[in-house]
Amino acid sequence: MTELALVLLGGLNFGAIYALAALGIVLIHKATKTVNFAHGAFVLIGALGAYIVQVQLSWSAWLAYLLVPPAVGALAALIELVLLRPLRRADAFSVVIATVFLGIALSEGVRLIYNAELLTVPSPFQGAPFLIGPVILTREVLWTVAGSLLIGIGTTLAFRRARVARGMRAMAANHRGAQLCGYSVDRTYALAWFLGGALAGVAGVFAAPAKGISPDLPIAVIAAAFVAAVVGGFDSLKGAVAGGLLLGVVETLAAAYGDSALKNAISFMLLFVVMLYRPEGLFPEVKTRHV
Amino acid sequence: MKLYRLIQVVLLLSLLGAGSASAQQGVTEDTILIGALGPLTGGTAFIGAPGRDGMQLAVDALNEQGGINGRKLELRFEAALTPAESVAAAKKLVEQDKVFVLVLASGSTGAAAAADYVRSVGVPTYNIFGATPVIREPFADNVFHGAITDPRTSAAALIERLTRDGDPERIGLLAGSYAFPQANLSVIRPMLEERGFDVTVETFDQNAKDFTAQLVSFLRADVDAVLVLGSFAEAGFAIKQAGQVGLGGVHWVVDGSAVNNAIVPIIGNADGILGYYNAPFYPGQDAEPMERYLALWRAAYGEPPQGRPNIYDLTGYGSVYVLAHAIDKADDDLTWENLIASWERVEGALPSDFGGYDVVFPESFSATDHQGNDHLGTAVIQDGVWTVLP
Repeated sequence: MTELALVLLGGLNFGAIYALAALGIVLIHKATKTVNFAHGAFVLIGALGAYIVQVQLSWSAWLAYLLVPPAVGALAALIELVLLRPLRRADAFSVVIATVFLGIALSEGVRLIYNAELLTVPSPFQGAPFLIGPVILTREVLWTVAGSLLIGIGTTLAFRRARVARGMRAMAANHRGAQLCGYSVDRTYALAWFLGGALAGVAGVFAAPAKGISPDLPIAVIAAAFVAAVVGGFDSLKGAVAGGLLLGVVETLAAAYGDSALKNAISFMLLFVVMLYRPEGLFPEVKTRHV
Repeated sequence: MKLYRLIQVVLLLSLLGAGSASAQQGVTEDTILIGALGPLTGGTAFIGAPGRDGMQLAVDALNEQGGINGRKLELRFEAALTPAESVAAAKKLVEQDKVFVLVLASGSTGAAAAADYVRSVGVPTYNIFGATPVIREPFADNVFHGAITDPRTSAAALIERLTRDGDPERIGLLAGSYAFPQANLSVIRPMLEERGFDVTVETFDQNAKDFTAQLVSFLRADVDAVLVLGSFAEAGFAIKQAGQVGLGGVHWVVDGSAVNNAIVPIIGNADGILGYYNAPFYPGQDAEPMERYLALWRAAYGEPPQGRPNIYDLTGYGSVYVLAHAIDKADDDLTWENLIASWERVEGALPSDFGGYDVVFPESFSATDHQGNDHLGTAVIQDGVWTVLP
């Protein structure tokens, strides 16, 4: 039982990072119908921001949580303005290709500037772990899991209730209808990319101590985040969070009680099963229509 | 009859000319072209990029002194990550660029991929990073190996480190599923089992960051010591997560690729972790040759990023000086055959013989032994810094 609890905690720790990354992808897709393959690169830039704040500037880790997400959000909004806005009338394929190569360009840019195998960031917590019976719960794992859950819940609530997100909700419900009602596409898209980028940034700050910063981080994150988003339901914010946590747990359980080589394979098996038998995802957004 | 003799002479001369041209490719009156290949991107970029930088440092230093026997060295480096890219890069360097010597600065994956090709064409080849037996066996006259030792030597060193501070009964082997760790695992596992240790083996994918499952398995097996065969990042995250699953009081030993200061910020308090190092000093260690080398590195590349220079910087640097010894011994007769014969006479080659800094172990070769170095320093983390014990 203790062993199972340890395995579950390990899975939740990495699942929480998947969840945060998936949340940003879903938010941007929900509001703009753009599948952002550059999202992994935004996570990398967020992690790099944590490195700059904590290691290069020797500032507090908490400042990284405060400063990095809006900075990455601003970068994402700028990219939307400069690169993706001109492509808005292009077909979906062109936009997808643009985000794929944008992600590669950003990752390679980081590689060129920081020519190192891995940059490491110390954990924000150095204190003794909590002991729940024989189960060890480190402060870092607790913070990662609880923090990402809080951000997930906060984002979901903000999307549902906040005035500022009304345009995104309208676009998500009916893109053309929202425009006819007077919602500005430019403003809504910029806001969606800012929030999606900020979520990627915060995912990067959480990921930095647990995964380190290397140019392969975007691939590792984007693959898991897409699986999490599809498993949860691609238009469901709460589904993204649940999908991420579920994926982390399933991967770790498969490796612990099956074979360590199963870890990556199981996520894609899960993806295919969901796509075949429940394509709307495990936790789809309930759509109510008032007639 | 005269015409027949004339044709014979012309044919003989053209054959001699062709033979001479092909044997001395890459050599002109004032330059010697050295080709090298290795990964500059991807998961093993920490091998190729430092290897290239280290080699270029030595090439520039030697050229500043006038080169070798009046000829300047020119380094042409081809990026190659995958096995297919490594073979293509080797072919391009030898057949298109016509290099005189080929350096495999690519780790085990690239070295194994290029092994058959370099054996078949006979180009003098210096495998400076590949531990894999595929490049070492069968023995080839034209293939030499540098500072990175064969898996049997490193396995013996790792077993010594495992048993140095105690007598563990149950040992966990945590090995990457890629070429270098697997080459080591295939040698070290039977050696440990022969010596009566209870061995539990767990594997992980390259660049893995989550080791929960493997560590839980070690917890189940109640291991006393864990040996990590992989990079410093993999070892670092595994050791960090050991605390999260309650795998405490375990003696950790890591292989040469993991001996990198960047492991310390991952783990935090990392003192006491043991490993081996293929050079006499760790970068930053208080030793005059290393201080001078670091000053040279900084002058060329600026302030080093986290984890640089690493063992591959040092080895790349030292390897060019070994090549300089072999080329110097070949004197003006720069054919492949003569270079190989001269290389086999190199003894105790050190950078200081050509004005460089001795940050590598001396290398010696013979006609039957093409492994330049068999020394492995004992590395330990002391006060948060890797130190190679004297």
